[in-house]
Amino acid sequence: MKMRKALLAAVIIAVILMVALISTREYYVAIALGVEVLLVFRREIWHLARYRRLPPFDERFQENVKKAARNSFVYMSVAIVFLTLAYAINVDYVVDYEPLQVLSWLLISSGLVYLLGYIFYDRAEPKLRPPEVGRFWTFLRILGIAFGSGITSIFLHNVIGRLGVAEEPVFFLIGVLLAPAAMGVGLVGSLVFFIKGLSRKQLPEIDQPDDERIQA
Amino acid sequence: MKTRIREYRAKYNLTQEKLAELVGVRRETILFLEQGKYNPSLRLAHNVAKALHAAIDELFIFDD
Repeated sequence: MKMRKALLAAVIIAVILMVALISTREYYVAIALGVEVLLVFRREIWHLARYRRLPPFDERFQENVKKAARNSFVYMSVAIVFLTLAYAINVDYVVDYEPLQVLSWLLISSGLVYLLGYIFYDRAEPKLRPPEVGRFWTFLRILGIAFGSGITSIFLHNVIGRLGVAEEPVFFLIGVLLAPAAMGVGLVGSLVFFIKGLSRKQLPEIDQPDDERIQA
Repeated sequence: MKTRIREYRAKYNLTQEKLAELVGVRRETILFLEQGKYNPSLRLAHNVAKALHAAIDELFIFDD
């Protein structure tokens, strides 16, 4: 019941915000908010349209929603920190965009992070063996660390460059070559395990105790 | 964890969908419960056991 009320409250708040944004002619953010609502509540909307009632919010669904929402929140927090950093040091390819446009993309991407997280916990993870789950998280960590170190390297390179001490090659190489390469490895690796889990129809055989042992 | 939900479900001629409806969960939850890939709460285990007229320890078998 709490979950239903929380969902209803979230949808009402999103609709009010969208109306407010449209009235102030911030169409970008309004559309982004609409897309995020569709991404987050696609299951409820589809169920309402097809069966004229909300789907059951069982404990497994609630656990997966909590995990996916936590991932999305962490992503949004980290992205806001890095974007603030980028604006603070005037990184050209970020500052070229209006902050509201950037906010729109942030909303859509956090909705995608939520959706992918939910699908992973709900559909892919139960079909992967424990070592495969471990490898998936390792690749995801590589992706996160590479992204963070890439942005930090660009920041440090710009700061050192502005101080006019000397040409700075180390952070430049990390930011332009190493970090993107590591990001590619992390992205491809995690995607492989994600798709592997989704596409596996049968669950892998797990070690089952034999019947004699249970009876004993 | 091994479960005998499928066996009991067959005994009472219940589909996964029907059992899910009786217990108030999604069909996927019943699927993963049957395959031992989800540890249910005590409440859910109790509800499933009640729907299948069985005791919890008859349905859920843990290997130590």
